[in-house]
Amino acid sequence: MKKASLLFWPSLALRELLNNRGFSVFFMINLALGLAGFIALDSFKESLDAHLGRNSQAILGADLALTSFVPFEDETISLLESKLPENTRSTRKISLFTMVSSENQTRLIQLTGIEGEFPFYGKIVLQKGGAISSKELNQALDVAGKAWVYPELLHMLNLKIGENIIIGEKKFLISDTVIEDPSSSFSSFGLAPRVYLAYANMKDTGLLTKKSRVSFQKLYHVPQETDLDVLTAKIRVQIKSFTGSDSKIRIINHKKAGNNIGRLMGYLNDYLGLVAMIAVFLAGIGAAYLFRNYLVQHYREMSIMMSLGATRQQTYNMVLWQLTMLGIAAALLAIILSMGILPLLPMLLEKFLPSGFETHSKFSSLIFALVLGAVGSLVFCLPVLSRIRAVQPLQLFHGNIGGQALENPLWRQILSYLPLLVLSWGISVWQSHSLVIGSAFVGMLLCAVLLLGGAAWGILVYAAKFSRKPAGSPSVWATMKRLAFRNLQRNRSGAISCFLALALGTLLINLIPQIYQGLQEEVNRPEDHRIPSLFLFDIQPDQIAILHKVLKKEQLKLNFVSPMVRARLEKVNGEDFSTNQEISPRTREAEREQHIRGHTLNLSYRTKLSESESIVAGRALATSFDWDAGVPAEVSLEEKYAERIGLKLGDLLTFNVQEVIVEAKIVNLRRVKWNSFQPNFFILFQPGVLDDAPATFLGALGGLDQSRRLYLQNLIVSEFPNVSVIDVTRMVQRVLKISDQMILALRLMAYLSILAGLVVVFSIARHEVEGRLWELNLLKVLGAKFSDIQKMIQIEFAVLGILAGLFGVAASLIMSYGLAWWFFENIWKWTWEISFISVVGVTALSIGVASLATGRTLKSSPLSLLRSS
Amino acid sequence: MILNINGLYKSFAQSDSAQIEVLKNLNLEVLEGETVAVVGQSGSGKSTLLSLLAGLDRQSSGSLRLKDQEISIMSEEKLTQFRAENIGIIFQQFYLMPHLTALENVSLPLEMFGDEDSHLRAQEALQQVGLAERENHFPHQLSGGESQRVAIARAVVIKPTILLADEPTGNLDNATGVQVANLLFELVETTGMTLLLVTHNTELAERCSRQLTLHSGTFQ
Repeated sequence: MKKASLLFWPSLALRELLNNRGFSVFFMINLALGLAGFIALDSFKESLDAHLGRNSQAILGADLALTSFVPFEDETISLLESKLPENTRSTRKISLFTMVSSENQTRLIQLTGIEGEFPFYGKIVLQKGGAISSKELNQALDVAGKAWVYPELLHMLNLKIGENIIIGEKKFLISDTVIEDPSSSFSSFGLAPRVYLAYANMKDTGLLTKKSRVSFQKLYHVPQETDLDVLTAKIRVQIKSFTGSDSKIRIINHKKAGNNIGRLMGYLNDYLGLVAMIAVFLAGIGAAYLFRNYLVQHYREMSIMMSLGATRQQTYNMVLWQLTMLGIAAALLAIILSMGILPLLPMLLEKFLPSGFETHSKFSSLIFALVLGAVGSLVFCLPVLSRIRAVQPLQLFHGNIGGQALENPLWRQILSYLPLLVLSWGISVWQSHSLVIGSAFVGMLLCAVLLLGGAAWGILVYAAKFSRKPAGSPSVWATMKRLAFRNLQRNRSGAISCFLALALGTLLINLIPQIYQGLQEEVNRPEDHRIPSLFLFDIQPDQIAILHKVLKKEQLKLNFVSPMVRARLEKVNGEDFSTNQEISPRTREAEREQHIRGHTLNLSYRTKLSESESIVAGRALATSFDWDAGVPAEVSLEEKYAERIGLKLGDLLTFNVQEVIVEAKIVNLRRVKWNSFQPNFFILFQPGVLDDAPATFLGALGGLDQSRRLYLQNLIVSEFPNVSVIDVTRMVQRVLKISDQMILALRLMAYLSILAGLVVVFSIARHEVEGRLWELNLLKVLGAKFSDIQKMIQIEFAVLGILAGLFGVAASLIMSYGLAWWFFENIWKWTWEISFISVVGVTALSIGVASLATGRTLKSSPLSLLRSS
Repeated sequence: MILNINGLYKSFAQSDSAQIEVLKNLNLEVLEGETVAVVGQSGSGKSTLLSLLAGLDRQSSGSLRLKDQEISIMSEEKLTQFRAENIGIIFQQFYLMPHLTALENVSLPLEMFGDEDSHLRAQEALQQVGLAERENHFPHQLSGGESQRVAIARAVVIKPTILLADEPTGNLDNATGVQVANLLFELVETTGMTLLLVTHNTELAERCSRQLTLHSGTFQ
């Protein structure tokens, strides 16, 4: 016997879908709304990666760069440059953080000295001078003490082009403002706007001394055919063979520069992706519910097919075709919707994005969307698919098609949810780039679904109490209330799906502001004098006493004075600690570990812990150290830092403290309250070990109002030009402003989730009412008015809305408390206003959406209802 | 002989683990081209017998041979194929696919097995039942009688060895029922198909060459 043509089953599947337009459209809208945010985010990420990839040379300004915190020795540089191919061009750059002052104000800036051909790629664009060529650069900056500044600095210092600023010991003329800088990053958050000087003029500032932390860069433009990775590796090997300060030279190629800049945005994208996943999940619940009812309604058609010779497998295949088609169509719709969301993301995240960034929908994103749509719809509906086993064609003779109960063993039910769990876990890990965060997210989502689902089940069981007929003659209201509760009871899957969609949406929209509110409250407490007002760094040891004296005159005390010693961790328990920088890390944890391992550390020492620190494991550090005792020194590590790089109590660490090898043993792990904004360190040594090592000092001043802050900042800068000052209050406000933008982007995704949840409610309400046409018709014939029946529906969805809102809020409070306890040192505050608005809002939306979904059907006359039934 | 039933039993498990015997020791032989009516009260086991004959259910014991083949031992796949080739079924409720036209409904069992002439054969079948004009109509655009005629066309289009009909006129008014019955018997006569129909309608049963009464699961 022949087989049907290849197109037979797909075309039959399509015909059936077209014939069930209502179901098909709602299924697609449901899924599309969930997918839209996800797809928009994927396109956004792809665009950012592509932009950074395309502009990585412009970001670095070169193909390759050597960086050192001490000036390059000629001999060292010529040895390294001997590895470079012929026709390599080079230029130099210096940068440091320092203070700049006008007549009456000071600000922290990133001072950058450039020369000759900088940048090799991209162009610096000035407000007056336009795009600057290398020739113009030399002429414009070299001639006299001129500076180009970022426009925000003019605003901060209340200056105009043509006026002067003082940098270090010299006055510079602001000749222009930089309106486009290909090498600008968003990592400084605009806290320290950039000021460009000619390389040759940097010396005049008097800042290139050992008192300042200066970054010296040598930038290279290599011939196009050069294999940069090979060249980078070759030079890195050469650097490894050096000793002394030369061994600290870092080499970076433009690809890595792009990655570094994209890291911060990457973290935000990870979390946006997870929030968007909840929208997909809610949409999946709705889609699965709709599909379940569609299947039940189509048992008859399936039975007929089987009686005509179709095998059960063919019936399954036809349904799979339908799901694939719906999934792909939903993805196409989602792509269209995502085009509306995509432009919103760069608008919301403007401050974090590199200049010239544009979003584009990439072909790979579209393919991803189609695959996700098709696979997602299959996986979500898989638990429902097993119901096809209930279809028995012999029931065509009995008239109770699909009527018999399907006994599904527990293992089979669990197994049918497994692909969904695996897919969710896979996407979460992929989205968060972290096994830990991805798994924790899925775990929390699963817990939330199980808890809320369990709560919904319990509520429905309890609702039975309200569905009993009261004694005597009840009012219409009481009857409708009873019927509403009875409806909730008998359609448990619909009620639980609605409840879950609303509760999860409420959880999400409540969770984000709830966490944020706690943080905001904590960092924005003006009366809390423990939070410093000014933060001073780069203080030289010989300046400490003078600084104390100056501040004493102002009746102030420099608090939390902490030494900072730069060192490298070379070995852990005798094993090499350095990492292969060429390998691209796959997870955020690996990326962070590589970042930590590859960077110089800031060590400190203090006699006793600050208020913001507490020991969580081990014992306190000894207060003195005997170099002759032959035992390692004692160190304390911040607990999460130790966890990230896999260090534990008792580990023996070998540090290179500016060419002196120091061995130290971890004797305790500390918890640090970072939001105290006090000077804190990941690694603390016991006193007596690093006391003679070259160090700079940090300190803080507290309890200052705005005018006093300004006055002291100016005073310190004029007396100590090398000392940098951060206005902590201003920084906190700035960080909060930036967080606002992040939160707004997260909320956009969260609102998409609640929208997806409401579409679920709409679909279920509509479907439920259509399924109950016969009964509603009967109620009308028996004398119920439109308003009575509407009341019944409204009670049903009000009960669902209010309970889902309450449980969603409760879950969000528990979760936010847990997150605050785990990540933010217990900063938690219940913002009842948010909870109240969430519950009222969700209830109102639930009633409104249900009324909207059912209005037309309820209004139709009993006659038409009879006909259609 | 086209159908041979020997010692056929069918029982169902009750919820309290007791068994209820619906068919008991049935024996029946049907010759090619013969028309047999099975009559009986509701619950007598008529539909169960039909579902066994259609290969949609399995007997508890006994033998059921169709075209000299024991269908009870066939695999699910083989049985599906056997049914598609040899058994035409007509239901009381017509059971047409709502989203397919009359012509598509009729050609469906042919297309399922890749018949290249499915369109033409379906058109012929519709012509045989007098509905050539209505081939592009959907089920909801057809009357009850027309729907049943389409269902008959769908059952005969595969040229089955045996045609099983479950109350074929049960959902129709008297006049339409007579028209449909006339058509059914005409088709059976001209094609030489074997017909086994289950009905309450004594007039319809009397038109068959043999009538059997099923009572409490046994022929009387």
